[in-house]
Amino acid sequence: MRALRGLRVYLLLAGAAFRAEFQYRGNLFINIIGGLFYQGVGLAFIWAVLDRFGQVGGWGLPEIAFLYGLRLTAHGLWLLPGHQLVHVDEVVIEGEYDRYLVRPVSPLVQLLTRRVRLSSLGDLAGGVVLLSIASASAPVDWTPGAVGFLLLAVLGGALVEGALQLAASALVFRMKKVSPIKFAIDMIFSDFGNYPLKIFGSAAGFGLTFVFPLAFVAYLPATVLLDREDELAVPAWLGWGAPAVGVLLMYAAYRFWERQTRHYESSGH
Amino acid sequence: MPVIEVADLVKEFRRPKRQEGSFAGLRTLLTREQTVKRAVDGISFQVARGEMVGYLGPNGAGKSTTIKMLTGILVPTSGTVRVAGTVPWRDRARNARQIGVVFGQRSQLWWDLPLRDSLWLTGRLYDVPTARFEEKRRQFTKVLDLGSFLDTPVRQLSLGQRMRGDLAAAMLYDPSILYLDEPTVGLDVVAKERIRAFVGELNRESGTTVVLTTHDLDDVEELCDRIVLIDHGKVAYDGAVAELKTRYAPHRELVVQTDALESVEGAEVVRREEGKVWLRFDPARTPPAALVASVLARHEVTDLSIVEPELESVIHRIYADRG
Ligand SMILES: Nc1ncnc2c1ncn2[C@@H]1O[C@H](COP(=O)(O)OP(=O)(O)OP(=O)(O)O)[C@@H](O)[C@H]1O
Ligand SMILES: [Mg+2]
Repeated sequence: MRALRGLRVYLLLAGAAFRAEFQYRGNLFINIIGGLFYQGVGLAFIWAVLDRFGQVGGWGLPEIAFLYGLRLTAHGLWLLPGHQLVHVDEVVIEGEYDRYLVRPVSPLVQLLTRRVRLSSLGDLAGGVVLLSIASASAPVDWTPGAVGFLLLAVLGGALVEGALQLAASALVFRMKKVSPIKFAIDMIFSDFGNYPLKIFGSAAGFGLTFVFPLAFVAYLPATVLLDREDELAVPAWLGWGAPAVGVLLMYAAYRFWERQTRHYESSGH
Repeated sequence: MPVIEVADLVKEFRRPKRQEGSFAGLRTLLTREQTVKRAVDGISFQVARGEMVGYLGPNGAGKSTTIKMLTGILVPTSGTVRVAGTVPWRDRARNARQIGVVFGQRSQLWWDLPLRDSLWLTGRLYDVPTARFEEKRRQFTKVLDLGSFLDTPVRQLSLGQRMRGDLAAAMLYDPSILYLDEPTVGLDVVAKERIRAFVGELNRESGTTVVLTTHDLDDVEELCDRIVLIDHGKVAYDGAVAELKTRYAPHRELVVQTDALESVEGAEVVRREEGKVWLRFDPARTPPAALVASVLARHEVTDLSIVEPELESVIHRIYADRG
């Protein structure tokens, strides 16, 4: 019942944000193309590297494209509902959060639905297209189980990225300004997330698995799907468990957010 | 049975202490020293169901901070708040359904959407049944005269229109308690009057409990029987408006239109102008009837009236006295 009401309220508010966006009509395609273009540049860079060296850490073009597509789809899937966290600093400092707290709806849901930003559709669309093409050419035996795991892995990846961004955002109630931290997290995801982790060495690999759980977004699930478990420094079941890690991290991050909300100070007027 | 119970309420804001001298900015960032601002410093009061209370005090006294704790926006540093059986910051959602909140300085409406949509969304968020919603919207559209701008995006509304929209949204779901933080700030006389009339009617018809902060004491004179006056985060006065006047401004003035009046026993001439004389007296010592009788007995009087002190000047005196 509560979950149902939550979903209904989310759709209600997201719909309102969507209508508000269309008061300034017609930005939809510009936004989507903007998002696509940005991701296209990143992909072109990897393409150039592969073209030059043929392989990166033993991964060829189909495998890298698969990894890239998986991460990009997860990223887009998180961004679509989660991008408004980018504005958490101003929402808290200027006291906009006040009004979220006096309504019988989760304040986080109200924050996430304060606006829509349609360029995240570009990220998601780019990811889905790339992942579909790469899945066809990558050496994966697409049993129903494998397809199911891929879908779960995308969801899990979105949850891992979302959990880190949410936890960082929660610090705003005490620190007042967290955008540099969130920006840094975003950079780490986009700079390291698209490559096989092992090329960065074992120390970085350990750090990016257990300290900053980047590996769970795409690298670990992609590795087990591509049947390359041998190159992992961690047991393969961690790869299969990546979606569960996403759920756990998001749960923890949400609890952390709820607790930190108590430190909200509003603004002086 | 009080519906709002506040006991020993304290709210402190902490800021890293600003460092002076070289590398001040960096040292401010790294320091663990803090300055503490006690915005609310041990406030206690209770509000009964159906009461309308003016929560007054000079700028920075701690009024808005108190309201934010009553509504569940801020968590108290210490002390307790109970509103109709809930602890606002802990049972936020439950509390939200029983309160309406209007902040004059800040709108709660959806900025980019027509006012109509904000009302509709509010109805949905608070699970107001459709028939009830339609009825309320029709009623508020009439009483608050929203008709001409229901379809205007909120960002294009004038301040007075926006405030009326905010008030309608705050009362759509029939909350039993209404908090108003400077609801008339920046409004013209007509808009102020309309808002006061609306709030007064809510209280009479539905028994809505109202807590009102304002710097316009006409709001209070018109709506509130009781005042809680705070200063530097502490309660300076809590009681009836009339009682406040007798305590801080015990004198009345008798204004007489007359030809020549030198002096009267039991009163003091404080002003003369265009054939009028102002006589100040203490009604506790000189009964008004006796004073009027003695003036009439000795002088040719064409007009006469007794003037009550205005709340404005009373509060002014109190602020001035605190030094
Ligand atoms: N978020 C905040 N952070 C730091 N200090 C604050 C904050 N909010 C309020 N204060 C301080 O607390 C004190 C009380 O502020 P508050 O807003 O409650 O006053 P007020 O009585 O509503 O005044 P006004 O009549 O000007 O609205 C002020 O000194 C203010 O600077
Ligand atoms: Mg205030």
